[in-house]
Amino acid sequence: SGELYCSLPNPRNVRFESVNMKNVLHWSAPEGTGDGVLYKVKYSVYGVGKWIRKPECRNINRTWCDLSSETSDYEEQYYASVKAFLNGMCSDWMETTRFNPLTDTKIDPPMVSVSSTETSISIILTAPEKWKRSPEGESVSLLRVYPGLQYNVSVLNKKTKKRWFFSVSNNTLVVPWLEPGTAYCVSAQIYVTTPLLHSGFSKEHCVATLKDKTA
Amino acid sequence: TAGNKIFHFGPCRIAMSVTEIRSGFTAIKANIQARDPIKTLSILSYPHSLHKVKSSDRCCIIHRLFNFYVDKVFKHCKTEDSYINRKISSIANSFLSVKRKLGQCHEQNKCLCGQGSAEKFQQILANYEGLNVTSAAIKSLGELDILLDWME
Amino acid sequence: EDALLPAPQNISILSTNMKHFLTWSPVMVQGETVTYSVEFQGEYEREHVNESWIPICECSRITATVCNITEDISATVAYNLRVRADVGARRSEWGTLKGFFNRITTSLTPPLMKVIADGYHLLVELQDMGPAFQFYVLYWKKGQESRMQHKLVKEVSSVIHLDTMEAGPDYCVKAQTYVEVINRSSSFSQTQCVRAQGGRSMWL
Repeated sequence: SGELYCSLPNPRNVRFESVNMKNVLHWSAPEGTGDGVLYKVKYSVYGVGKWIRKPECRNINRTWCDLSSETSDYEEQYYASVKAFLNGMCSDWMETTRFNPLTDTKIDPPMVSVSSTETSISIILTAPEKWKRSPEGESVSLLRVYPGLQYNVSVLNKKTKKRWFFSVSNNTLVVPWLEPGTAYCVSAQIYVTTPLLHSGFSKEHCVATLKDKTA
Repeated sequence: TAGNKIFHFGPCRIAMSVTEIRSGFTAIKANIQARDPIKTLSILSYPHSLHKVKSSDRCCIIHRLFNFYVDKVFKHCKTEDSYINRKISSIANSFLSVKRKLGQCHEQNKCLCGQGSAEKFQQILANYEGLNVTSAAIKSLGELDILLDWME
Repeated sequence: EDALLPAPQNISILSTNMKHFLTWSPVMVQGETVTYSVEFQGEYEREHVNESWIPICECSRITATVCNITEDISATVAYNLRVRADVGARRSEWGTLKGFFNRITTSLTPPLMKVIADGYHLLVELQDMGPAFQFYVLYWKKGQESRMQHKLVKEVSSVIHLDTMEAGPDYCVKAQTYVEVINRSSSFSQTQCVRAQGGRSMWL
């Protein structure tokens, strides 16, 4: 196919980095090559016989390429490959391992919103959305992708420094019978049992119960 | 957690610990898939994905696939790596105990095989027999997550 | 190969809370260091792979007379286990476990549990026993045993919130472990009761 003389060192560590099924191909520049290296990218659906070029990642000098659109069907699995060019020379095609969007993606922590009354706090949890092509596109919650998704919720009493954990399946939690005029900090984590996936804990959202009016 | 689930395939109900099978597979996935250079053919998904199987055919296909893996696949996957072999043994023995439960469903006529499932399974066998035994077995083992994802 | 070396004897399994150990009596050879090697065989190997055996490399040529086989006993089927001894170039016959081992027979102990009253909140701390374990926690207002409530705890993360308590009555809690892959439970832990409003943890 009129390939150039391919003795350029190869791109390294070619892999998918995926968060909430935003699937981005990343790689490191070939060893010992300075500036000026250009790359092109192709991908394939496992089990289907052809490689498909990604035009938007042709002759690029960055070391990543967003393939979310091309790999959005999470019932399929994928490979991607990168080739480097410099001064008329090229490298070999360097491939990823087989990428399974369903099991190989990382999940962001849930969004947490907290409100309080005098003696209770109410927590609303929102699972992140699956990557979508455009802001106008249909929003798909990861809850639909992973039906067994659950939440671990941590509630810290800032006065006593005691932390409690709740395990909830639905997305709301009310903690009653709390001390008035006390700050509580809430953070939450998503966990899915099969496939086994855990998000990190969200950052803490603190709220204070209202002061006791009768005191 | 252990992730034992009750799978409902029509009238057939089976308690299965998919998490143990998945963690065994996750431990060997990169190694096994790296031994499969053929990216243009899939045993389970070619030409049609398992997701195209009608729900009425699910039980029969799963029953046949568990038999397929136990009878044809695992024994041809021996590697030079003792850690990999031990994990394959763990998956194979888990498949064996599930295969038995599916067999009981089948004997109790709760896991009937229709035309659709027969055709799909024949395609899988044809894909398998289109390769030499070791390549076909390694490729099938490397596609275990396709089966597990579809089952769940 | 000189097989005069006696095969290891008294081979048995110690299995508690899904941790499985193979043990045997030492082979005594005056002035020599005896090493041992362990192999396992699952039902799959017996029925489909010509009764082949698989070595456990962590227990290959070890001097101890115990081997942790938990990682390899990872299906609920009948396993065979065997061990042999080596001294220099001398090797014994295999000593084989009498009968099979199936993890369904593991002995399950009640979980270590600590019940806490924090204001009006009933909390419990449970010992983490590994990914195979869940906990079935029962709690009730003392004297109202007929109105017990339960919670299945799948993820053990330090202090778990059970419920809120009214001021005044004692609230009692007991727990048992549940292992899904063998579908068995332990006996219940001792009951512990606490009371809201600075309630103290009282062992009953």
